Amino acid sequence: MKKPIQKFTLKRKAERPSWYKLDLSAIVYPTLQRKDFSSVYRLSILLKEEIKPDILQTAIDRGLPRFPTYKVSIKRGLFWRYLEPNNTSGPFVQKDIRNFCMPMPFRSNHGYLIRFYYYQNRISMEAHHCLGDGSGGMCVMLTIVAEYLRLLGHTIQNEGMVLDIHQTPDKGELEDSYMRYANSKVKPPRPQEKAYRVRGTKEPFYTLNVIDGIMSVQEVMAVAKKHHATITEYLNAVLLYALLQKQEDDKVFTLRPVKLAMPINLRRFFPSISLRNFITMIYPSIDPRLGDYSFDEIIAQVHHYMRYYINDKFLRGDITTNAATQRHPIIRVIPLFIKDFTVRQFYTKVQDRNSSAGLTNMGALKLPESMRPFVERFDIYMGQPFSPRTNCAIISFEDTLTINFASSIVENDVERYFFRKLVQDGIHVKIESNRDNGLEVLL
Amino acid sequence: MSYCVHCGVELEENLKQCPLCNTPVYDPSKRPDLIKAAPFPSEKAPVEKVKRKDLAILLSVVLISTSATCTLLNILVFNQSLWSLFIIGVCACIWIFMIPVVIYSRLPIYVSVLLDGIALGSYLFLISLVTNQDRWFFELAIPIVVLFTIQMEVFTYFMRRFPVSFVTTALYTFIHIAVFCVGLEIFISIFLHGSIRLIWSTIVLTICMIIIISLITILSRQRLRDSIRKRLHF
Repeated sequence: MKKPIQKFTLKRKAERPSWYKLDLSAIVYPTLQRKDFSSVYRLSILLKEEIKPDILQTAIDRGLPRFPTYKVSIKRGLFWRYLEPNNTSGPFVQKDIRNFCMPMPFRSNHGYLIRFYYYQNRISMEAHHCLGDGSGGMCVMLTIVAEYLRLLGHTIQNEGMVLDIHQTPDKGELEDSYMRYANSKVKPPRPQEKAYRVRGTKEPFYTLNVIDGIMSVQEVMAVAKKHHATITEYLNAVLLYALLQKQEDDKVFTLRPVKLAMPINLRRFFPSISLRNFITMIYPSIDPRLGDYSFDEIIAQVHHYMRYYINDKFLRGDITTNAATQRHPIIRVIPLFIKDFTVRQFYTKVQDRNSSAGLTNMGALKLPESMRPFVERFDIYMGQPFSPRTNCAIISFEDTLTINFASSIVENDVERYFFRKLVQDGIHVKIESNRDNGLEVLL
Repeated sequence: MSYCVHCGVELEENLKQCPLCNTPVYDPSKRPDLIKAAPFPSEKAPVEKVKRKDLAILLSVVLISTSATCTLLNILVFNQSLWSLFIIGVCACIWIFMIPVVIYSRLPIYVSVLLDGIALGSYLFLISLVTNQDRWFFELAIPIVVLFTIQMEVFTYFMRRFPVSFVTTALYTFIHIAVFCVGLEIFISIFLHGSIRLIWSTIVLTICMIIIISLITILSRQRLRDSIRKRLHF
């Protein structure tokens, strides 16, 4: 009886590598790590019943090993960082906190780069961006939530983003898909023009101000259709409109273009089942120096920009440009600390100044039929912004569209202009927030 | 169900003001017993501290093994003098200096500066014991170490108590250099001649005074500039 068991373990070991290279995007995130900043995003699911933490813990213990690239810790090599399987106990479910998405020191939390929280009927998962993007993370969370519901006695099928926890992970789930598609014959230059930056009063360490707007997908879609645009294009235009108004109010000395940094899920264009990062950034922008844009003109600009740039040709070129740096033989042999310094400088001086705000739209989330009745809605947060500004994340489920703003500044002008514009357009918006400052002063 | 009168958005029932424009919510008919729990918890959590236990253990092990091997070498091989005591003393000093960094980071800075002074004094005392000469220790080493420790404490107090800028740091540094040099020459001259004679420290004092006066002028002008900016801002 002993032999087959030995064979089985040997086979499993061969399948599961003892370390993973960071993918192309993931290289940047750990270098930006500061005492008061980590690239952490949060995904939340609101169920219809109160969460039972002990059952959730069991679901995590059973579900997380299915995702070997998420059950890891990050280590430093001489030239690059790498991910190493983490077999220590955890991650453990914790009670939720108000200042979420807080920095994630690499050696805390038993080395895990993933955290789970519960609060009433909300389950939240926070992951460091070096593990994977929102789509990958959502897959992990939904699989765990499906397992949680199964432990409560419900029958949930494995379908779409809910994976089978007993299945051996596919090689494609663990791969760095960038490298497979970074093969265009030309490397288009990166857009590098300084954008308008929201100036705000930094909140004390460590505060995350959140404003959530909840609305109906049908209503937003109807308004977007009126403007001949999709929901993403419409909401992009509203955010650009809010930022333009903010710049006007700021009475800045030099006008700058208003730009959004918007991640595009590359899985839509290049076949990939990778659960790691597979996104690239596009920058829809409006340049007020050219003249005053009406809202319809902003929508038209965003609409055409998106139609022009979001296709496999342009995106492939973009990936190739990014991959060229990592593939360069000289860059590869430069010690990590020099790379860290250079990347940080580049990010602070160029990349971060390239956009006025971040906006991500995860789109309509599809769940297995049997899971839908238990879910109320989803929330996603881009986490603490690198520089004092505000980030916006959008997700929809059935008829509920949620827009989550996360910022580390006191001012809420961008959010106000944004939601007021939606209300003006006839959309019913419900606001939730963790901001409660100022009340004592007012009363 | 309340709406913000300015923004027109529906507000979640726990909100006491509109998060977008800070307008207070006034709803006399709201029944507090029917309000659901807030969508966000009210508790905050601190960022998890990374334990530096491994580094503390490594440091302690290296220092202890260095001291132990030197002691053994001194006893068994090179046993003409008690040289290993100097190395043990250095190891002990390094360990004490590193306490706030790797061993106990919550130690108040004033206590750690005091401990550093005591460690330095004890090491010099050890040297005087081994060399069997204690006059220099009591008349020179102790006063200098005490003066230096007091100055460090004062410097730390100023740095923590008052707003820090490049100019203030330079100001404190030059004041301390001036005081320390004068003190040093006083102690040396008492030790050598039995009376106070100031020669070289007066030059240091003069240079430091010039720098200190210019720094104070800059500081006061800065304040002046600030107050003008405050009153005339647009």
